[in-house]
Amino acid sequence: MTSRRLLPGLLLVVTALAWLVAVPLRAEAQTPKRGGTLRVSYGNEVAGLDFHTSPGYEMMWVGMNVGCGLINITPDGKFVGDAAESWQMSPDGLLYTFKLKKNVLFHDGTPADAAAVKFSIEHIMDPATKSGMRPFYDAVHSVEVLDSSTVQIRLKHPYAFMLHMLAGYRTGLVLYSPTATQKYSVEDRKQGKPEAVVGCGPFKLVEWVKGSHLVMDRFDKYFEPGRPYLDRIMIRVIKDPVTEMAAFKNGEIDFIASFSPDHVSTLKAQNPNANVMTGKETTPMVAQMKVTVPKDGKPMSTERAPHPIFGDVRVRRAIGCYGLDRQEIVKIAFKGQATPWVGMAPPGTLESVNVNSMCPYDQTKAKALLVEAGYGPSKPLTLELMTNTEKSVFNVIATVIKEQLARIGVTANIRLVDKVTWMNTTLQDGPWDMYVEDLLSLLTIDSNGYLSTAYVAKNSSAWSHPRHTDTKVDDYYARYAREMDAGKRKAIGKELLEYMADKMYWNTISGSPFYMVAQPWTKGYVYNAEFEVHWDTVWLDK
Amino acid sequence: MLRRLLQIIPTILGITFVVFVMMRSIPGDPVVSLLGDAYNEENAIKARQDYGLDKPILVQYFIWLGKLVQGDWGASILTGRPVLQDVLVRLPVTLELIVLSMAVALAIAIPAAIIGALRQNTWADYTATSVAMIGVSVPEFFLGILLLMVFSVGLGGFLPSSGWVYFPGTCQTVVCAAGLWGNTQHVLMPAVALGVGRAALLTRLLRASMLEVIRSEYVTTARAKGLSERPVVLKHALKNALIPTVTVMGLQVGFLIGGAIVVETLFAMPGLGTFGIDAIIARDYQQVQGFALITAFAFVVINLIVDLTYTFLDPRIRYA
Repeated sequence: MTSRRLLPGLLLVVTALAWLVAVPLRAEAQTPKRGGTLRVSYGNEVAGLDFHTSPGYEMMWVGMNVGCGLINITPDGKFVGDAAESWQMSPDGLLYTFKLKKNVLFHDGTPADAAAVKFSIEHIMDPATKSGMRPFYDAVHSVEVLDSSTVQIRLKHPYAFMLHMLAGYRTGLVLYSPTATQKYSVEDRKQGKPEAVVGCGPFKLVEWVKGSHLVMDRFDKYFEPGRPYLDRIMIRVIKDPVTEMAAFKNGEIDFIASFSPDHVSTLKAQNPNANVMTGKETTPMVAQMKVTVPKDGKPMSTERAPHPIFGDVRVRRAIGCYGLDRQEIVKIAFKGQATPWVGMAPPGTLESVNVNSMCPYDQTKAKALLVEAGYGPSKPLTLELMTNTEKSVFNVIATVIKEQLARIGVTANIRLVDKVTWMNTTLQDGPWDMYVEDLLSLLTIDSNGYLSTAYVAKNSSAWSHPRHTDTKVDDYYARYAREMDAGKRKAIGKELLEYMADKMYWNTISGSPFYMVAQPWTKGYVYNAEFEVHWDTVWLDK
Repeated sequence: MLRRLLQIIPTILGITFVVFVMMRSIPGDPVVSLLGDAYNEENAIKARQDYGLDKPILVQYFIWLGKLVQGDWGASILTGRPVLQDVLVRLPVTLELIVLSMAVALAIAIPAAIIGALRQNTWADYTATSVAMIGVSVPEFFLGILLLMVFSVGLGGFLPSSGWVYFPGTCQTVVCAAGLWGNTQHVLMPAVALGVGRAALLTRLLRASMLEVIRSEYVTTARAKGLSERPVVLKHALKNALIPTVTVMGLQVGFLIGGAIVVETLFAMPGLGTFGIDAIIARDYQQVQGFALITAFAFVVINLIVDLTYTFLDPRIRYA
């Protein structure tokens, strides 16, 4: 009887003791440890290391760690200072003032001050630099240095996504050391000569042996106290997912920067403790249709004629809108791990709107539209569906589309090409009818470079693959990006997405899932899709 | 001999010219990859002018050749890196892989062929012949994956799944092996994957030659003189039987370079194979030329060495 009375008290004491013991242990486990090498695997080679001009995510993820910028963006869309301590926008949205942290140094020891910010922005804006980011700086009128730690960016017109652009379009703004940039050529930076690639980020470039590895070491004078925790980052290229999985299983790599969606379930089964990271889908998987062709037969000609098949909006709607069963495609190609989507901006993109109801899978409607457009048993529709070898999922989707189009009496002949041929054909206005690809990750609707620099009357943009000639789209874009009132801007964005879906200028199939994988001992990484890949908070618990 | 050496020059020139023309004949433009997001017609035209890609193919070839004579292999269109520098970094990787895979091939082929020939139509012969048949039939990538699953994943990382570290003495990067094993462990599986197919082929070939040689009169004479079986087989029979095998070994170098593309990709090795295939995919013309030049040179030189080896194997063969 006495022991029964004592039991609750005893349990309480034991629980309290356990809590007291466990809490410090937990706290100790979460305290970042310094040192070690983070071994990262890339699925593709770095194309070059000039952060203002070289293409590819692989370059960007290096750029985000070697370089620093003004601000960064968090996964929940908040802006946080990088080299900037604070910032403010004038009420009219035309003037941005950035106050910089005073202890920011480039890896060559020179200060990352207001003059360096001005230099870096003007370097990107200079047409001679040939930066793909230049169109996004169109709104910038001038950059003024107020004092060594204060810089002002004056705009020609309001630009609602100025901060998004500086934080997360491609690499975001990467500050370059004026001294090193003027001393070394763009070729030196592309080649990854460490003395030429000088940023103010947490890691400095040590060595890039193309095809083998890239090494970055901790920058001891990084402005964030105590960071980075790692001594070194070693990036290796492992193109084959099977080999990548073997290397991960063996513990030869700590972090996979981009993992093939096809192999995620296998990797999870082999490594139950692996940290498989994914999030909102920001990359659109598309089945684009070409809207116009050059009237005079010369690629990129501004004289346009409707595409023989998809120049007719009824055919675009029949095939792209009602003729595709997006649910089925996602089920087969992504094992259900993606969102069927019609809107131009995928579900994870800021201010994206679900317009799926505009395009329900409806074979009857699709067939009727084709008949209306003049196709039928006496005049069957045959088209070419181009896909490329970059990702196996493209071919799976193309095969499912072929099957679905056959259900509405359309013959799709699949043309498999390599990535460069696809790029050449689409960028250079070559002959194609329809293609499957997943294009680029979109932080905002505005960041869609494929259309924001779209066909404007006489100026055909290479990246506007469908090459529609509808200037209303450009008008939508301009109004959307300049509208500072969030409510009004969202309304314009919704209109734009509905308009694009209605006209089928842009044919999204679904979101395209993105995966990163880390070993259980790799701690402190904050997943933010492809937009922000920072290893300064990462530490190794082993 | 001098004539034989001089023949190398037109052979290499011919190969590089064919590759030069072929690369420019297939669809694709390196400028697209070079410019990426910054691609537009204006920038593309400028870039083509900068890299001389707007000139006629023949003019481009002679410009390349002119620079080559001065020791300039050109620079990668995509990265701007000197081609020769990249080739020299990658050459030791492929060289080691090819030498080791050939060693693997010979280590399997010679004993198997001797046993097969000396014990013709016995279970040992059938086993050697069957294994050779299987070896020829298994593609490198499949065998590579099997090895990966067994020796890397299955044995808890006994051998590293991929990558490469350079020999400590020759290492010019920060990724250097601590010792010989540090380097060798990376090349074992790739060498076996690449070598087994060659071993199978060489076994069949050498066995057939051995069968022919051991029935020849001079071997019978050697035996009649009272020589023991070991010197008869190794010194008299094998040496002569090796002549056709050595010829094929020289020709196999081309296949080994081709196989290296697959094996290096699978095992993520930074060798010439991956260099070549990446260059072709990206249409990086300068790098492709560098790849063609070094492989053509290697092929021709190795076959020259093979020709010279005949004189050692058979003293009756003489080059003027």
